[in-house]
Amino acid sequence: MNTLRRMDQILLLCLVLLAIFGMATLYAAVHAGDLTVWYKQGVYWLIGSVAFLVMCFVPLRLIGLLVWPVYLLALLALVLVPFIGDVHMGARRWLDLGIVNLQSSELMKWALILLLASWFSMREASSFRDLSVALVCVLLPAALIVIQPDLGTALVLMLAAMAIIMVAGFPWKWFVGLLAASPFAGYILWQKMHDYQRGRVLSFLNPESDPLGRGYHVIQSAIAIGSGGIFGKGYLEGSQSRLHFLPEQHTDFIFAVLAEEGGLIATAVLFLLYGVLISRILMIALRAHTRFAGLICVGMASIFFLYVFVNIGMVSGMLPVVGVPLPFISYGGSALLSMLVAMGLIMRVAIESEGKVSWQRPTSPLG
Amino acid sequence: MWNQLEIRQRYNQRIYIFLAAVVCMVVILFGRMVQLQWIQYTEHFTQAEDNRIHVSPILPTRGMMTDRYGLGLAVNEISYKVTIIPERVEDMDASLAKVQVLMGWTDKQVDKMKKQVKQSRSDRAVMLMDQLPWQAVAPLAARLHHFSGVDVVAGTHRYYPHAIETSHMVGYLSLVRDVDIKKGYLSMEYVGRSGLERILESRLHGELGYKHEEVDAKGRRVSLLKTVSPKIGENIQLSLDVTLQHVAAKALKGRTGAVVVLDVNTGEVLTLLSQPGYDSNKFITGLETKQWKAWLEDKQRPLLNRTTQAAYPPGSTIKMVTSFAGLRNDIRLARGSTYCKGYVELADRQIRCWKKEGHGKVDLHAALVHSCDVYFYELGDELGMSRLTAEASLWGFGERTGINLPPESRGNLPEEEPDGRRKNWYRGETMITAIGQGEVTVTPLQMARFAAAIANGGKILTPLLEKGQPIEIVREVDVSDEDLKEVRQGMRDVVAQPTGTAHAALGRAHWPVAGKTGTAQVVMMADDEERSFSDAKKHQDHAWFMGYAPFENPQIAIAVFVEHGGHGGSSAAPVARAVFDAWADKVDTTLEKH
Repeated sequence: MNTLRRMDQILLLCLVLLAIFGMATLYAAVHAGDLTVWYKQGVYWLIGSVAFLVMCFVPLRLIGLLVWPVYLLALLALVLVPFIGDVHMGARRWLDLGIVNLQSSELMKWALILLLASWFSMREASSFRDLSVALVCVLLPAALIVIQPDLGTALVLMLAAMAIIMVAGFPWKWFVGLLAASPFAGYILWQKMHDYQRGRVLSFLNPESDPLGRGYHVIQSAIAIGSGGIFGKGYLEGSQSRLHFLPEQHTDFIFAVLAEEGGLIATAVLFLLYGVLISRILMIALRAHTRFAGLICVGMASIFFLYVFVNIGMVSGMLPVVGVPLPFISYGGSALLSMLVAMGLIMRVAIESEGKVSWQRPTSPLG
Repeated sequence: MWNQLEIRQRYNQRIYIFLAAVVCMVVILFGRMVQLQWIQYTEHFTQAEDNRIHVSPILPTRGMMTDRYGLGLAVNEISYKVTIIPERVEDMDASLAKVQVLMGWTDKQVDKMKKQVKQSRSDRAVMLMDQLPWQAVAPLAARLHHFSGVDVVAGTHRYYPHAIETSHMVGYLSLVRDVDIKKGYLSMEYVGRSGLERILESRLHGELGYKHEEVDAKGRRVSLLKTVSPKIGENIQLSLDVTLQHVAAKALKGRTGAVVVLDVNTGEVLTLLSQPGYDSNKFITGLETKQWKAWLEDKQRPLLNRTTQAAYPPGSTIKMVTSFAGLRNDIRLARGSTYCKGYVELADRQIRCWKKEGHGKVDLHAALVHSCDVYFYELGDELGMSRLTAEASLWGFGERTGINLPPESRGNLPEEEPDGRRKNWYRGETMITAIGQGEVTVTPLQMARFAAAIANGGKILTPLLEKGQPIEIVREVDVSDEDLKEVRQGMRDVVAQPTGTAHAALGRAHWPVAGKTGTAQVVMMADDEERSFSDAKKHQDHAWFMGYAPFENPQIAIAVFVEHGGHGGSSAAPVARAVFDAWADKVDTTLEKH
């Protein structure tokens, strides 16, 4: 009980509010049709909450021990996907484990963050040799995810890794060099892309060119968001969602439902919640008792933020359409579950750091 | 090994930078929201409404046209159409085959329907067949529950009950063309193409109504938001008496020609018949090219409106113009007499009177009664061409009557050209113009208006097609009572005197009639040729009769024209008799009742 009392209350409050917000928005997205989805999401929240609480009791030292095994397991799963994976919506991403369909890239995200946090807990990211090992650990799974093909997740993975490496002391000079090299990387990426991915990028660049095809989704979601205005059309009153003009409105495009019915006020509230949540995680990173714990928070915060940014950017027509869910709002069991596990881990960091002096020198995650 | 303080500072600094980056990007996202939801709100809201609301038009009922007593000339008949909603049909071919058996459609028709179904939206009704009577759809309607997606829908279509007799005047509709759609018509609408259907289009059409429906992304109707009822087109009562039109048509049966009857006091058109007519209903059911071509190539030209669009030499019916000109200009002959020996000599030629043996001593009255050509040759010769045509212009020849039924011919008067090129007419030309031959041509409508003007004391009226329209007087011809009386008496005795040219046909008419026959030569014959030289129909003379009744206190005026009809007295005058009697009987019975 002592453990639970030491939980970060602001973080907890944010999560509770997001749960309410998410369930309410999902109801609006599906109320016209089948409510099964909504009930299932409720169950996922319950399961997720249990997982969250469990994570609060897992000592970070134990996690430090499991870093390499978990990473290798995730890598194995990624390798296996092409052979036994389930083809879902044109892409092989799911691994059928009997009871749960596990998205192997979902597992890899967290495994990689833990690995990098552990790796850089005692090392500065300015040593070329140390960096190369980390880079291999990042690029290997990233490449496997790209060929699945799931470009969005691969990008999120690499950017989150970048955030950890930056905080771990990556020299600015190298960073500038990398930035300069990125156009070439972009060109190579374009060459490696699948046609449907290129199509998405192209339709993002000029959605009106194909209003009934790929651009249709983006145009309709922009209309939905914009037509909400400042005060919104009212809860359950959004015509774009009610009449199914929005694509995948309970998953990737759920933000448009919220914006249409709640207007600028609802989007502002959601941004505030996300903003507070992310800054709270970074605050925890600042007062973490070990560097390992702090870097975990940085990685989690970056993944969380990337999801939010990429999803809303996509739905509002600023970024190409990549299948990334909106954290805590979009329907989807495995995404919600993994997000809550991650939050539980951060909460564990907050709990362990409570009342302790913040780290002065890097140490092994095992203490 | 490491500078611990430096590492910790860098770590903290980088987290703050990270936080700042996050804040920046959230601000960017929020900026995008402000742009979409605040700045571009109106635009997006409109687009969302456009998505949501499907506006479909409701066609107004077209106004009807009736005759002066309310008998329908252009009406809307209830008919039925068979429609199908493809997405509700499980097996299209099987369903259509069953419907085909019930409706008795041909394989060709069904193939066409299948093609149409394929091209149409699957959630909207596709029309399979239109304008069916109840008897035709009844077997299907009774078994509709066996046919999912098939429906029998009631609607209306245009029908002309007196198509053959009134088609030139009433006109017809046909299905919209691309040009009309550009003007704002909808597909499936019918547009006035000819006659009053075309001219009165804007009044008959009415205004579209609208149905605002909420639809989902697939275009399926979710709910009805509001309905704006269409405004029914105006019902227009024409001045025409369709019964009288039928009398005229019956009297003219089988012959080519025109009959115009006007109310002498108002100018209202009571009859406007052009024969042969055509069945304008064929335009509604979808005219076949073969039929259209046949009408166009028919030598009798059924599509031509002979009352207004064609002009013919007036023959002796023009002699009243010559008479008025003589009297107006105080030509000695007009108040004196001459001797008709059967011809006049001009240079070394003889210009003949229609009566070879001559009329003997003739004055104006006798010349009108017996239609003596010689008298009018001499009168015309003394008048000269310009005074003759000036008089004809006064009485409305050579100008459009202004009837609201364009296009209208103005006929032809041998007028002086502005450049004076034809200023000097040969005397012979003037002389034959005086008896209505040569270059002068008139339309039957102009002739009827002339008769009406003589009857009403010189008022040239615009012929009116609608009942109760305000009278339009084009001009009042300045003619003295004595002169008018002189000509009128001549016209009266054409009918009343046993030797008058129209006595045989109209002497026993129910009302005292005044009038004038005319026989217009189609081919000018050489002096020595006999009048009846040719049996060829196309060389036969045109027959005319114009006149009014009753003689005292006139009511109606008539012009009868029979193309290649032969002699006016025997061919055209009997038609006038039938019309006058029918009208007289109608008026008399009405008077008796009151």
